[in-house]
Amino acid sequence: MITPNLSWLLILPLVGLGFVCLTPADKTCLIRRISIVSVLIPFLLSIWVYAAYDHFAGGFQFVQNIPWVTPLGISYHLGVDGINSLLLLLLGAASLAATMISCSIKDRVKEYYILLLITVIGTYGAFLSLDIFFFYFFHEVAAVPVFLMIAIWGTNSKEFAAMKLTLYLAFGAAIALIGLLALYIYGPHTFDYTQLQVLLARNPIPLNIQNWIFLGIVVGFGITLTMWPFYTWAPIGYAEAPTAISMLHAGVLKKMGAYAILRFAVGLMPQAAHTWMPIIAVLAILNIVYCGFVALTQRDLKYVLGYSSCSHMGYILLGLACFNSLGINGVVYLMFAHGIMAALAFALAGYVADQTKTRNLDELGGLLKVMPFIGTSFIMAALASAGVPGFANFVAEILVLLGAFDRYPWLTVFAVFGLVITAIYLMKAIRLGFQGPLNERFGTLKDTQTLTEKLPYVLLLALLILVGCLPSVIISHINSSTKPIIESIQ
Amino acid sequence: MFPVIDWSLASIETLIGLVLIFLLVVEIILPKNTQKDWIGSISFVALIGIIIFWLTQGSLNGTTFSGMFIMDPLAWFFKGIFLVSMVFIFAMTKEFFKTLGERRNEFYLLLWLALIGMCLVASSADFLVLFISIEILTISLYVMTAYLKTDRLSIEAGMKYLILGALSSGFLLYGISFIYGTTHSTHFNVIAQYCQTHALSSMTLFAMVMIFAAIGFKIAAVPFHMWVADVYQGAPTPVTALLSVGSKAAGFVALLRLFFNVFGAWHPQWSLVLAVLSAITMTYGNLVAMHQTNIKRLLGYSSIAHAGYLLMGVTAATVLGGTGINFYLLGYMFTTLAAFLVIIVFSVATKSDEIADYAGLSKRSGILSVTMLFALVSLAGLPPLAGFFGKFILLMSVVQSGYIWLALIAAVNIVISLYYYLVVAKRIYVDAPINTTPILVPAGMRLLMVIAIVGIVVVGFFQGPFFDAAMTAIKSILPI
Repeated sequence: MITPNLSWLLILPLVGLGFVCLTPADKTCLIRRISIVSVLIPFLLSIWVYAAYDHFAGGFQFVQNIPWVTPLGISYHLGVDGINSLLLLLLGAASLAATMISCSIKDRVKEYYILLLITVIGTYGAFLSLDIFFFYFFHEVAAVPVFLMIAIWGTNSKEFAAMKLTLYLAFGAAIALIGLLALYIYGPHTFDYTQLQVLLARNPIPLNIQNWIFLGIVVGFGITLTMWPFYTWAPIGYAEAPTAISMLHAGVLKKMGAYAILRFAVGLMPQAAHTWMPIIAVLAILNIVYCGFVALTQRDLKYVLGYSSCSHMGYILLGLACFNSLGINGVVYLMFAHGIMAALAFALAGYVADQTKTRNLDELGGLLKVMPFIGTSFIMAALASAGVPGFANFVAEILVLLGAFDRYPWLTVFAVFGLVITAIYLMKAIRLGFQGPLNERFGTLKDTQTLTEKLPYVLLLALLILVGCLPSVIISHINSSTKPIIESIQ
Repeated sequence: MFPVIDWSLASIETLIGLVLIFLLVVEIILPKNTQKDWIGSISFVALIGIIIFWLTQGSLNGTTFSGMFIMDPLAWFFKGIFLVSMVFIFAMTKEFFKTLGERRNEFYLLLWLALIGMCLVASSADFLVLFISIEILTISLYVMTAYLKTDRLSIEAGMKYLILGALSSGFLLYGISFIYGTTHSTHFNVIAQYCQTHALSSMTLFAMVMIFAAIGFKIAAVPFHMWVADVYQGAPTPVTALLSVGSKAAGFVALLRLFFNVFGAWHPQWSLVLAVLSAITMTYGNLVAMHQTNIKRLLGYSSIAHAGYLLMGVTAATVLGGTGINFYLLGYMFTTLAAFLVIIVFSVATKSDEIADYAGLSKRSGILSVTMLFALVSLAGLPPLAGFFGKFILLMSVVQSGYIWLALIAAVNIVISLYYYLVVAKRIYVDAPINTTPILVPAGMRLLMVIAIVGIVVVGFFQGPFFDAAMTAIKSILPI
């Protein structure tokens, strides 16, 4: 049987990037096509990888290992298990949708697609790497173009937003880097994740040192994950960013933080996890409730979604703090479900903002009359986000809440309450934006016309419903790969 | 009875010296009003030849001239940095001094002189050779800094550099005399043995402080940085490039030899002081760089900050720390030269070094803005570019040596520096241009920019071979 070669997931978009660089800047149509193809093929490949992964065998599969900097124990080590193969699928879908909706960009098209492709390649690299050095490396590669993309193609206070987002994330990354370096120095002197797993399980780092390393990694990547109180970069960043970046960042890039905490902090330092995670659980509740209330007061559609996204990261943190298979499986499930949902919601909000030239909910209204497709999709995304059964988020949130109830029954009460808040602010946004009397200014607006225009939204919606109705499609993958982490932690 | 001199070890310096003498003669016999840039062309060819020759010299390891001159992998590594950066600086000179006529010829000769000085610094195994070679380098820099005779800023820069440089030479000699007084030798090996068998005394401490002050001047470490901003701004831009790449690397190779090897035995006593200096240097450089409006001043302060990062490696004084310094300087060379190539082309076209005038550069010249973006991102230390891996090793080395607090300060500094680099990137890519006339980039400059970008990316992504070379270099001076 032919097994997928994971390097192609990096090489093919890189080749596409090369072609985009060589195409003259005025051939925008060609540039768009090349870019779409160079994210479509990796998406198809990631479906293949996902389907070919054997969850009965478990562990890391399709592994490639090339020594890179031998004296430091750095190797170009790629491989997938049930966790990152799912995240690859998320990235594939979100990046395809993000590239397709980018047709609304008319200015400096070539530079736009070059930067977008670099972000996508970096994210693929981060999810594929089984070497902590390369994870960090690619995670930063993905972060670099975001600054320019927000600053050039963003809206309103784009320069401030770009700077704030970049500096916050860079600070988080720098703190996390010191944590990871300490893990290397005090651990068994390798960056290879599979080796670290084995060696650290055999002789763990002394608890007093482990506690500090764990804290560095969790706070560092917690900033990426918008952990309370480090979330303030996200709402403004997502609001002012071009739609594709809001989609990718809220949907996928942010999840790199959760992924890193799950793998490198909780997975490698279970003893320290027991020290810190109960505290993190309280922060998670603050995320859920505090950001939820802030979202209630917002008048700007994208800010509502931005705060909502911060609020929902609380469930991921709460799940990570559960130490049981329900919680951890729920986290991975939620990373996928929330990623797709957030990408969809930001894509729709971006479409609305593009057409109406405003995001202020007080000025909008009645848009369902002129944009039935966009409006309906938005309502579905909102239902998904509020955890209505039938959508992927429901399964994920139920898993997390069940897991959390087992360990923190009182905190879980607040967490459930968070879902009510979500429902309130999203229903409010729908009422103000899509129902009620139509502002006559918007009478002539057009809905999506062709199938190609509808396709990105349909793709994401279909995934939400598919995974929501058939959770077994992914739960078996997740379960096979979270098992070692849960065993080490219990 | 004279000792036997093994010229093969000093063949690079010998070749440079021969080229220098040959060019002097050519300069004299050349007709005065010739339009062709003979000296520049010969220099290029000779330099490329020497670089090819340098590639074959990697395995040498030995001393000559009665043990005063050493050729080991460390010297080889740094000579490579000096030679390659000189190629760029010659090209910059050709472009920058287009209008200067025959005065340019003498400038080339001074560059060759500076090159010989730098190569000798890398090879010194004796305080006397070290002093003389630093003086050769510095004196040619004094002249070059003040080369624009009619430019007030250039004269001011030359004056400042001369006064502070002379002061630091004084420090160095004073320190050496104290070392001689206690150890009765100027030879590195003898002093190293003395350090292993004796505790640090007040005399040797004083000498060490004096010597560090003198070299701190070369690498622009706080509190010996006062000259940096004005000299960087006022000097002709090729000289600024030489100061920030060559002169800094020369300072660091001297630091490596002295603090890893000669004073290595006293590491526990001096490492904390260096850690504090490193923290102050990087913080000062970055904080002040934030407020600069002139690109050369900004790079001046950022070069102070980079000296701070590099001092982390000296603080650690381990294989990892030294490897970090070597690797960092290699990446820093490509990065800084890329930035200065852009600055030169831009200033020749617009007569300006103000950051405000860079607004909208991306609409005026694609290659200039891309090169500058690569340089800025690499200076900020973001992957996949060269600056990242250097910082990565240096941070690793201080974490390994237990200076977590220093690593945290460096982390905060990296974020601060990211801010001002991104402000420049934003000016270039986001702001509207004041003047939309395209800037034409000469083909030679374009080629060098591409080479610099390739260097930045290759060193940043395929770190393995460069890391190995940097590590071999450092292992040759550290007893394992």
